[in-house]
Amino acid sequence: MEERHLWPGLRLGLRARITLAVTLVTAALSIAVWLTTVTVARQTLLDSREEAVTRRAQSNSAVISGRDLAETEASEVQTTLSSLSDTERPSVVWNGGIDDVSLDPRYTADDIPPEMLRLALEDGEGSIMRFQFRDEPLVAVAVPISNQQAAYIEVSSLEGVQTAVRTISTALLAAVIASALAAGFLGYWLSRYTIRPLTRVTDAAEAVALGQLDTRMNYSEYEHDPDLAPLVANFNMMVQTLEERIAADARFASDVSHELRSPLTTLKASLQVLENNREALPERAQQAFDLLDSDVERFTQLVEDLLEISRFDAGAVRLELDDVALVPMVRATISNLTHGTVEVLHEPQLEDTIIACDKRRLARILANFVNNAEKYADGATHVSVERHQGRPDGEPSVRVAVEDSGPGVPEELREKIFDRFNRGDQGGSRGADVGVGLGLSLAAEHARLQAGNVWVEDRTDGGSGARFVVELPLLEVHPSELEEDLSAATPEATSNLTLTGEHKAIQMSNPGEFP
Amino acid sequence: MGDNTGVGTTILTVEDDERIRTSVRLALEDEGWSVEESDTGEDAISKFGQVDADVVLIDIMLPGIDGFEVCRSIRRQSDVPIVMVTARADTHDVVAGLEAGADDYLTKPFAPKELSARIRAMLRRARTPSPGNPHLTFGELEVAPAEGVVTRNGEPIHLTKTEFRLLVELASQPGLVLSREDLLEKVWGHGVFGDGRLVDVHIRRLRTKVEPDPAHPTHVVTVRGLGYKLQG
Repeated sequence: MEERHLWPGLRLGLRARITLAVTLVTAALSIAVWLTTVTVARQTLLDSREEAVTRRAQSNSAVISGRDLAETEASEVQTTLSSLSDTERPSVVWNGGIDDVSLDPRYTADDIPPEMLRLALEDGEGSIMRFQFRDEPLVAVAVPISNQQAAYIEVSSLEGVQTAVRTISTALLAAVIASALAAGFLGYWLSRYTIRPLTRVTDAAEAVALGQLDTRMNYSEYEHDPDLAPLVANFNMMVQTLEERIAADARFASDVSHELRSPLTTLKASLQVLENNREALPERAQQAFDLLDSDVERFTQLVEDLLEISRFDAGAVRLELDDVALVPMVRATISNLTHGTVEVLHEPQLEDTIIACDKRRLARILANFVNNAEKYADGATHVSVERHQGRPDGEPSVRVAVEDSGPGVPEELREKIFDRFNRGDQGGSRGADVGVGLGLSLAAEHARLQAGNVWVEDRTDGGSGARFVVELPLLEVHPSELEEDLSAATPEATSNLTLTGEHKAIQMSNPGEFP
Repeated sequence: MGDNTGVGTTILTVEDDERIRTSVRLALEDEGWSVEESDTGEDAISKFGQVDADVVLIDIMLPGIDGFEVCRSIRRQSDVPIVMVTARADTHDVVAGLEAGADDYLTKPFAPKELSARIRAMLRRARTPSPGNPHLTFGELEVAPAEGVVTRNGEPIHLTKTEFRLLVELASQPGLVLSREDLLEKVWGHGVFGDGRLVDVHIRRLRTKVEPDPAHPTHVVTVRGLGYKLQG
């Protein structure tokens, strides 16, 4: 759809456009009304003034026409004019324009438009004319006096009419401006209601984008609106389809992993039987068995990782916060992973610290770090548990770092290695047993889920090697007796997830939808 | 009673996938145990009455009667140790299996070594109650480890083997806190990666049997952040 704009480069929002349109239309309409009204008013006022002046001129001229002007002194005419009651500025011209008398000392017959005099004196025709004299708008009516080559001329100022028109015009202009402004406000206010459905669509779309795929708009609210009902219906249908697609994708990955579990179970049990009889196998068969055994193990891990990833993708991940004595837990985990060959160092005050964290996930992270060190650096050199104050929110944190003395991770790969199926060195030069690169990305997901973080950095002692760090918020649990079961615990005790004595599962979203 | 975990032990496996059933049988037979097989829940329930199984291994996903129901059915007639096999490790299945009466669970694909270790731990649990003081008293509760008897106000309380073993472990160190990890190791023979839910579910079941008011336990007490302890 091509968009047109008032000015190239000027892009107004929908609401601004509605407001602007309403304002402009209202302004145009009221300007038209203004112009018409002023024109009509002016014409009406002028017409009525001209009519009044004409009437006056005709009745006044009758007073003059009774005389023989040729025999009358100018001063007499002057006196007669002065005696007229209903007049403004009367003049009389006679003897074909040779004599004239004006009651108004400011002008004489010479100042009357000559065309008017000619018509009255020579053709004996009356006329009406508007003209400007010394910046004053005037109207003059000439009435010829029959058989005397003379005319009575009545002049009247149009100043009053002009002032009245100007006053009306100004008042109306103010009304025009006021109504345009009012229309602007009204448009702005009304457009809020017009675009409110759009605002809701925007909010809903935002929620969907943030992963809340069960977001729907309330169709019943719009079903009687022929303009909005299709939008809402289609939006809901789109989100529904999206949700189903994502669910189907996640379910597919999950189903594939589940389907692989059965043959893997058979494989592992059969391999065990073979292993029990390994000594009976010829040497070449033993070698083949070892290869098979280690790759079935690797394959199992891959299936587990894929399943875990599909759980994250489906949003069907549960965080299970447990009270964990951190240092003993790390010590036991590392000892289990490395058969006691790797030392765990820790700050003394952390020895008895109990934190709320997902133990299984922390163990998975550490296992990943240790496996990584074994693959690329001949194993970890040591593990350290530290307390830090440096979280962005200012809260304290704990860091568990696994260090090795291998080649380290180049700066440019330090973020990449936490992506899926990315194993840093593409050539696989860091050992023959190159993993599949899901482990570190899962470690990152496991950490993020409990508001933690993982990264890799240089060793703190400056030596060659990598230091893989997992940082978790320090949600400290202080040992105390719970005299009752959690089901009967006080609200204070249960409201804080970090302080529950027993396993507490937090459903992230989509309860029970996926395994 | 000595080591009775070898010869003469019968394991009933309930699994609909023939290949898994066969390979697991081969692996278990290598441990010196005899194995009886069932491919449906119905068959398992009728077979359980005929064979004298020492441990039952049940796959949750069975055609017809599912593993949970088989587990409940067997548990109604016997204290035999039951291991659930699930294809998924999420809380719902695991807790449902344990609530149905299972003593332990494994997730497919499991290592046969792990399976035999679990079975061995259960056989020990079932046949050799840990030696200790002949009678331990906690208020109205009395535990006699050697006889395998628990009484409340003189009335005997019926516990499964695992529940009894759990109570005895707690009773053997009166007033001292045992962490979930301690209990997992002592009662289930699990390593450091053991699942604390096993302990929690069994503690909850134990409470419903030994506590006057299970919602406000006075004997089997949770010590937040540390574990559980038994007190008078």
